[in-house]
Amino acid sequence: MRGTKASAAWLGAVLTAVVLAACGSSSSKTTSASGGAGTTSGGGSSGQSASKKPIVIGAAIDQSSTMKPFDSPAAAAAQLEVNKINAQGGVDGRKLEFIVENDQLNPSRTRADALDVVGKGANVLWVTCDVDFATPSTEVGLSKSLLTVAPCIGTDQMGPKRFGSQGKLAFSYGNVAQDEGAALAQLAIKQGWKTADVVTDKSIVYEVNDCQAFTKRFTELGGKVVAQDQFTQGDHTVGSVASKVNGQKAAVVTLCTYPTPAGDLPAFVSDLRSLGNQTPILGPWSIDGTFWLPKDPKVSNNIWYVTYASVFGDDPDPAVKALEQQLTSSGNPPATGGFVTGAAAIDGIVAAIKQSGGSTDGSKLAAAMESFHNLPTVSGAVSFSPSLHSVYGRQYRVMHVVNGKPKYIEEMKATTPASIG
Amino acid sequence: MSRLAPIRPLLAPVLLIVLVTLVGSLTSTATQQNFITALVSVTIVIGLYVFMGNSGVISFGQVSFVAIGAYAAGELTIPTGPKHYVLPGLWSFIAEHSVGNLPSLAIAAGLGALYALVVGLPLMRLSGLSAGIATFAVLEITYNLLTFWPKIAPQSGQTLSLVPTTTGLTQAAAGAIVAAVVAFAYQRSRRGRLLRASREDQSAALAIGVDIHRERLIAFTLSGAVSGLAGGLLVHQIGSITPSQVYLELTFLTLAMLVVGGTGSLWGATVGAVLVSLLDSYLNQAENGLHLGLFKLTLPSGAADLILGVLLTAMLVLRPRGLTGGREWQLGRPRVSKIRSASAMSYLGRGRARR
Repeated sequence: MRGTKASAAWLGAVLTAVVLAACGSSSSKTTSASGGAGTTSGGGSSGQSASKKPIVIGAAIDQSSTMKPFDSPAAAAAQLEVNKINAQGGVDGRKLEFIVENDQLNPSRTRADALDVVGKGANVLWVTCDVDFATPSTEVGLSKSLLTVAPCIGTDQMGPKRFGSQGKLAFSYGNVAQDEGAALAQLAIKQGWKTADVVTDKSIVYEVNDCQAFTKRFTELGGKVVAQDQFTQGDHTVGSVASKVNGQKAAVVTLCTYPTPAGDLPAFVSDLRSLGNQTPILGPWSIDGTFWLPKDPKVSNNIWYVTYASVFGDDPDPAVKALEQQLTSSGNPPATGGFVTGAAAIDGIVAAIKQSGGSTDGSKLAAAMESFHNLPTVSGAVSFSPSLHSVYGRQYRVMHVVNGKPKYIEEMKATTPASIG
Repeated sequence: MSRLAPIRPLLAPVLLIVLVTLVGSLTSTATQQNFITALVSVTIVIGLYVFMGNSGVISFGQVSFVAIGAYAAGELTIPTGPKHYVLPGLWSFIAEHSVGNLPSLAIAAGLGALYALVVGLPLMRLSGLSAGIATFAVLEITYNLLTFWPKIAPQSGQTLSLVPTTTGLTQAAAGAIVAAVVAFAYQRSRRGRLLRASREDQSAALAIGVDIHRERLIAFTLSGAVSGLAGGLLVHQIGSITPSQVYLELTFLTLAMLVVGGTGSLWGATVGAVLVSLLDSYLNQAENGLHLGLFKLTLPSGAADLILGVLLTAMLVLRPRGLTGGREWQLGRPRVSKIRSASAMSYLGRGRARR
């Protein structure tokens, strides 16, 4: 009987845990609520805004794992833009509300958080900056017929290409890799680099597409790709890849990868430089920022990349500079230039709502968004097309890292996105 | 009640599964995900229990069968149109066929069993540390196959997506109950008893003619089937899967569930899975701030894994047989059992006296 009593005691503990779990979950873990000073500038809109329901943008993003350097600054900039719009009276008298939940990049948490913000009345779903990681939440948004927006996914897969007919509701305010890779190729040719060794991290589609686009446009512009090397983030082969690259003696090394706890990006740079190789390394926005750079300034040297904005105080656009300073002074200094995409996405959502006559119906907003051509946003002109639901034709900032310090060089725009099939 | 006597040990796990389902159904859609995860975890841990609990042999490779089931069920239910885009390198016979939800779960279970049978043929001759290392190698092999072989999965470990999300509370509960019934039927069967005999005393089992290799292989295959089913439920819950989701973290977590509950009983496997899964879900939420009535619990990042690690270590040190002590909990067991025990003892005593 002692065993039975013990088992009954444990059953009681389990029952308590199950009930507590249900109770504990009843409250949310929303980390950011609506912002805004609440002042109104429109004469007749103040009375309306008090009675009208807010427009809720619900975000399920990563604020503690690999995507944090990309998701968090974009969300912080989005919140500032929401505050600004609310201070001006909102959208047709309706306030914007931006709620954020941290999915920690855990797939089941990502789905649960997306369902949670939808349950809290989200009219638009906001997802993480990688199409693979964002898939569980994106599928929730699309199944609920909501406009589903990522601030900085950089592939053409955030749209009908991956998600079929439902994907008409999915958009990203990130630069599409076909465009970014083409801009990198133009930069290489402009710098006089006629030969390239292309190194691709195959772990995410964005990096694969970026290097494919670079290769295509670089060849079209008369450059020669002398070698193509590949690795997969975390497969421990990056050292041997660096040795092979060192043997190729190309004029530029085009590196498509991103910083993760596996550390392949800094390892590649360190390994190449330790071989005495100071060949310029050229990469996309995903290598922006100083947080991943090896500490030795001789190692973190001669690295080039294109990005949305400079976060080092030398961006040429005063509005971007002001936004960056606002973020820094509010305790959220952006790690990369991708922060502007958060504000741009809010601008785009607001423009789509206005075009739809104040409706938040997903298909109406998507139709409006698909028609954007050079829509002015804080991040520059934004264009979409029926087949490309990520941005193309934006001005890039060309950055050059010298002795561990990134510096803005110039603006650059891809003539057209590269066609990579 | 006497007609129920043979299945009494099954009632408690089934009732707990039903209870979790009922409580989950009263919560919001988002919170339900935690309960669905708990039920899917029950199925995975029961799969683990079928082999480890009955054989006493440690296995770090069971999550391989979950992975096989997840990828099989996922790939077979993506509509053929987008499948060509999401999985461009896939074998044509997989790319050109799609099946419904239930057939995909059956195929997941079947492939899990087949894979377990194939790898079990050589491995089931091992025990102790050798078995642990060999089964871990199976996990590594499976992970690398799913990461780098585009004929069977997306290239370079990219996400398998667009899988229909059909695992709600009902399907997760049904899967867990099926797993519990299968595990119970096996442990009550002659085969199950022979394997448990070998667990208690290998030499004695060999002496009475138990073919330990065969018995372990049967349990390993059955465990593969249950784990494959669990993988199917998992992929249909989230709608996507990557190799890293069915690798080390899930292996550690499910082993912790079985150890915390008690490796020796179906009841222990069920209790451990429910408790640890819900605890894991809520600790992870607490890292972002979790409102519990009047107060808010906020833990630092990484605290969830740390707490689970401490819990597992404490359990191994203080209560190595788990919360349930490795015993089944028999609902409604009549008090007469005490009398029967007493008479059995006196019978044994008489026997001893005769000798």
